[in-house]
Amino acid sequence: MRFNEKELVCLSRQPSEMAAELGMRGPKKGDVVKRRLVKLVVNFLFYFRTDEEEPVGALLLEQCRVEREDTQTFSIAFLDDAERKYLFECDSEEQCKEWIDSIIKASYEFMRRNLIFYRTEIHRLTGKDPLEQYGISDETRFQVNSGSQLMARDTSSL
Amino acid sequence: MKLNERSVAHYATCDSPPDKTGFLFKKGERNTAYHRRWFVLKGNMLFYFEERDGREPIGVIVLEGCTVELCESAEEFAFAVKFDCAKARVYKLAADSQAAMESWVKALSRASFDYMRLVVKELERQLEEIQDAAGAGGQQARPKPQRRHQVARSRSGASSSSSSSSSSLSSSSSAPSMTAVCSAPRSLQDEAQLVSGGSRENGVAWSKAPAGGSAEAAPSCVSWDGSTDSGIVSGCGPDEGRAPPVPPRRFGASLESPVSPDTGCFSKLHDWYGREVEELRAQWLQSQ
Repeated sequence: MRFNEKELVCLSRQPSEMAAELGMRGPKKGDVVKRRLVKLVVNFLFYFRTDEEEPVGALLLEQCRVEREDTQTFSIAFLDDAERKYLFECDSEEQCKEWIDSIIKASYEFMRRNLIFYRTEIHRLTGKDPLEQYGISDETRFQVNSGSQLMARDTSSL
Repeated sequence: MKLNERSVAHYATCDSPPDKTGFLFKKGERNTAYHRRWFVLKGNMLFYFEERDGREPIGVIVLEGCTVELCESAEEFAFAVKFDCAKARVYKLAADSQAAMESWVKALSRASFDYMRLVVKELERQLEEIQDAAGAGGQQARPKPQRRHQVARSRSGASSSSSSSSSSLSSSSSAPSMTAVCSAPRSLQDEAQLVSGGSRENGVAWSKAPAGGSAEAAPSCVSWDGSTDSGIVSGCGPDEGRAPPVPPRRFGASLESPVSPDTGCFSKLHDWYGREVEELRAQWLQSQ
């Protein structure tokens, strides 16, 4: 599958939510733990060899599951192949928690759910759709149910 | 650079609802002819398939940081997806009609994660403002009382539109620029937490990301229970001599409030709710 690699590399240089050197192990049998600079940018997790400009790789964080493996280790697995886990070893329990929390929040889908929640709540409290003034109330991505329009039809909350 | 391609391809075809789909012509890189492809937009990823029912995408354009422009082209209804980085490729696309072109340009220019994040932040801020003004902590009070906007609004009822509310929102200095721009704004640096603890505390199941997961299920239907809201108790005179608080307002069916009628002071109420929420949050976190 083709992808715009140059632009993705460029994205990896943007300011990040979180970045740290962690021990990282790939999902394949025989993969060993390697020290990597791990950087979270929007919904991508980039990993670099320390001191290298270009990332070794990137993980798109959609449709994934983040789990605590032990006190200082977390894993990321993708729903299409839940057994294949990428493992990350942190330096402390605190750091591990922070990473898990950040990665969970790093998906577009997660944000979408929050947006829908706030939109619905504001509408319920004020009777107004907060997205209207921005001209984006009709966009599919902001609907409560895929495709259907909450604001036009749902007056039960008023 | 490696990418978890298999999972990315799976994201394209899994049952999470796409933001937009349709046929577009895409100009080839070496072969400069336009090829008709089936496009699927999900979040900040624009996938393209050889055919509409293709099992796997031929490719994907990561849209983060892009700008979308109409372009001068022999091809009708053409537009371009451009990036700000050195030697970036320009993706030239063309739609079937003016309407389709406009619709795609609009969708693609707002597809970035950053844009979504800004919108969420803005709504979060608005909700907080509304809650602060109304004096109800409810389930969503943030445990940080410093950031409080005392906005005086007059409202005649739940459904009437109030002109003062929109002006106060747009004049807030913290509101990001939300006019329809073709390029998604750059990320805000201070976004340590995308979502306030409030979304996790909400008793409604939809918002709980399972301890392990993100986006395991498609955005589910939400059943809102309007009657859980307590009535709003008006505050006492504000401490700093600002405008008087809003008069009591019924949001839900009942006027019952866990707070005794004697608790007239707004800031006390706010703190009380804030503490209660903190406790609930701690309990919830422990149970995870």
